[in-house]
Amino acid sequence: MADLIPFTRRSFLSTSAKLGAVAAAAPYISRAAEVGAKGADTLNVAIIGCGEEGRILANAAMPIPGIRFAAVCDIWPYNLTRTERLLKKFNHPAQPFEDYKDLLANTKDLDAVLIATPDFMHAEQTVAALKAGKHVYCEKLMSNTVEGARSMVLAAREAKKLMQVGHQRRSNPRYQHAREKIVREGKLLGRITNISGQWHRAVSDDYGYPNGQAIPEAKLQKYGYANMHEFRNWRWFRKYAGGPVSDLGAHQIDIYNWMLGSNPRSCIASGGVDYYKNHEWYDNAYIIFEYPTKDGLVRAQYQVLTTTSAGGGYHEYFMGDEGALKMSENPRFTKLYREARAPEWEPFVAKGYILKPETGEGAAAPVKPWEKPGVKKLAGPAPRGATVDVRETAQLSAWDIPVTLDKAIHQPHLENFFDAIRKGTPLNCPPDEAFASAVTVLKVNEAIAAKKELTFTPQDFIA
Amino acid sequence: MNAPRFQHEAMATFWELTLPGADPAYARQAAQAAFREVDRLEGELSRFIEHSVISRANRLPPGGTLTLPPDVLACLLLAAEVSVATERAFDPAFRSLRPPELPPELPPYFLDPETHRLTSRAERLDLDLGAVGKGYALDCVADLLREWGFTTAHLNAGSSSVLAFGDESAAGAGWAAGLVDGDGTRVAVPLQDASLSGSGTDEQGEHLMDPRTGQPAAVRPRAWALAPSAAQADALSTAFFVLEEPQIREVCAAYPGIGAAWLAADGSLRGAGTLAAAVATGQRTRA
Repeated sequence: MADLIPFTRRSFLSTSAKLGAVAAAAPYISRAAEVGAKGADTLNVAIIGCGEEGRILANAAMPIPGIRFAAVCDIWPYNLTRTERLLKKFNHPAQPFEDYKDLLANTKDLDAVLIATPDFMHAEQTVAALKAGKHVYCEKLMSNTVEGARSMVLAAREAKKLMQVGHQRRSNPRYQHAREKIVREGKLLGRITNISGQWHRAVSDDYGYPNGQAIPEAKLQKYGYANMHEFRNWRWFRKYAGGPVSDLGAHQIDIYNWMLGSNPRSCIASGGVDYYKNHEWYDNAYIIFEYPTKDGLVRAQYQVLTTTSAGGGYHEYFMGDEGALKMSENPRFTKLYREARAPEWEPFVAKGYILKPETGEGAAAPVKPWEKPGVKKLAGPAPRGATVDVRETAQLSAWDIPVTLDKAIHQPHLENFFDAIRKGTPLNCPPDEAFASAVTVLKVNEAIAAKKELTFTPQDFIA
Repeated sequence: MNAPRFQHEAMATFWELTLPGADPAYARQAAQAAFREVDRLEGELSRFIEHSVISRANRLPPGGTLTLPPDVLACLLLAAEVSVATERAFDPAFRSLRPPELPPELPPYFLDPETHRLTSRAERLDLDLGAVGKGYALDCVADLLREWGFTTAHLNAGSSSVLAFGDESAAGAGWAAGLVDGDGTRVAVPLQDASLSGSGTDEQGEHLMDPRTGQPAAVRPRAWALAPSAAQADALSTAFFVLEEPQIREVCAAYPGIGAAWLAADGSLRGAGTLAAAVATGQRTRA
C-alpha cells in the first residue's frame, strides 16, 4: 500500500497546496504548461458586490487569460473576506474595500469594474465608475428605475467608456447560433407568431446570516439599508429591487427583444403578493406583450412564479408557422420542433445548423455526456408513404442544436466585455439595448399596478 | 428530542439536516444556506450538468487544460489521495479512454495545485465524482454550519453518507448511526466528528464497477467506511466494496482513523480499523 500518511479530516487542506507537498497523490500531481497572456495585455479589474453573484462572476472571470483582480468591495465583511480569500488563492492581489468610492479613488491602474450589488446601487456605482474613467460590467437589471438606467447610458456616452449589462444569454454560443443560423439565416421557424416563456421556482425562505456577522445598524443605514433583514432579503423590497420579473424575468424578456430585434408596443399583466407575508414585490406575475416586427405581430406571454418548481423550469419558447424553438440556459430544456408543413430540414443538418436525433442506421439518439442515459427521445419525422404501422399518435419531430457551452455560463459574456476593451469587439449587451430591456421589464410592474394595458412609444426605448 | 429537520433534493438524492440547539427560524435559515451550498457544488461537480466544471473537463481534447475552482481542486485532490491509498480500487476516471502510450501507472489526468489546473492525458477523459462528491458536499455543509455557530448537527445525503459532529445527547455517546448486516440485524455505530458511508447493490442494483478491471464488481453486496471526513468515507466505501479482505485490512492498518465493515460471502458482518469494535461488540437490534 501507499506511503503512510495519516488521514486528517481534510488531508489536503491541512497541508500546503504547493506542488510536491501532496505526496499521497503523487501520480496525479504535475506542473501544468504555461498558458495565458501576460504583461501589457493584462486588465486590472475590481468586483463591487461580493455576494453570490459577485462570486459567480469572479469564478467565471478567473480562467480568462490576462485578468487580474486588483480590488474587491463589499460592505459586509463576511462576503468580502470570502471573495478576497477566493481570489488570493489564485494569486490575485484583491485589495479589500468597504466603500466603492474608496476603491475607485485608491486602486491604481484600474481598467474595469464588475458590479454585482443590489439593483438600487447599480446606477450610482456605474455612473461613478464611468466618471472615474473605468469600463463597467454591471449585472442586470441595469437599475430598478428607468431614470437610473437612463443616467447610466448617458454617463457611458459622456465618459466614452464601455458598459456591458449582464444579460449573459446574449453571449451564450447556443443562443447566438439559434438567432443567427436557425432563426435569421435559415428561417427554420417561418414567421414567428408567438412566444411563451417562464421561470418557475420553488418557495424560498428568507435569507439569514450567521450569529455574530450582523452589520451594525448605523453602518447599514449609511449605505442605504433599513436593517439586516432587508440587506439580506433586498429582492423582496421595492426600495432595492424590481421584483421577480426583474430578478428572473429580465434575462428572458431581454431575449425576446434580442431574438425579435424589436421592442414591444404594449404590455398587459396581472400579479400580486399572494403567498409571502413579508414581501413587498409581487411573488407571481402573468404578462402579455405585443411586438410589432417586419414580418407581422408577435404576441408574447411570460410568467414568473416563485412558489412552485412545477412546469418545466425556465425557458423561452419561440413559435412560428414552420417550426418552434425552445431555448434555455439549461440544455435539457432546449429543443427545436418542425411543423409538418415546413420545407424539409435535412439541408440544415448537412450545413451543421441542426442535429437530427435517431439518424444514421436507426441508431438511438446520442446521449450527451451530461444527460442521464435511458431518457427516450421523441421520434423523428412521421413516416410518409402508403405503408404505415398504426400505433400511437406521431409526435412533432424534435431536433437538436449542435452547440455546446464549454465554459461557465457567465464567462463568454465577460470575455466579450474584455475583448471589447482590448480589441474593440462590439459589446453583446451595450447600454442602449440594455436600456430598452430595462424599460420593457419595469413596465410590467407598472401594468400590474394599473390593472390595464399600457402602451410603449418607440421614444420610450431611447435613453 | 425534537431537533429541527430540513430536507432538500440535490445530486440525484435527498438531503436531510438535523440541527439541534438553535431557534428553529435560525436553523431554517442555516439549512437554506447549506442547501444553496450543496446546489452550488452540484453545479461544479456533476457530470450531468452541461457547463459544470467536470463536464467541461470531460470534453477536453488530449493535452487540454482547465482552471479549476477551489472546491473542484480540493475534491479531486482528495479523490486522488484515496485512489493512491487504495491502489485504484477507487478511481474517479477509470472509464476514460487512455492512449496506448500512456504508462499504466499514470492516471488519465493530472492536477497542478499551484495554478489550480487540470490537464488531460486521455483521448477522452471520463471523470465521475459520483462516489465522492456527495461526501465532499457534506464536509462543506458541516463547515458552513460550524460557521453559523452550530456545535452539533447530523447531516444525511441519501442515507448512503452520513456525517455528524458534536453530540446528540448529554451522554457523550455521539449520534446514533448503524449498519445493517445480511440477516437484517442493525449494528449500532455511534458517530461523532466523523462520517459513515455505505456502498452496495441493494438500492441501485448492480451499479458498482471495479475500476481495476472495468467489470462489474461482484465481491460483496455491501461495504461501509468510517472516516474523519465524509468525502473520504464516501470514496473509501466504494473502494472497500471491491477490495479483497486482506487489502481492506491493510488500508485500515495504514491509515489510523479509518474503519471498514463489509458483508462477507457467508453473510456475516466483518469489521476492521475503527469499525472493528462496533462490529464485534456493538448493540444489535432487528432493523
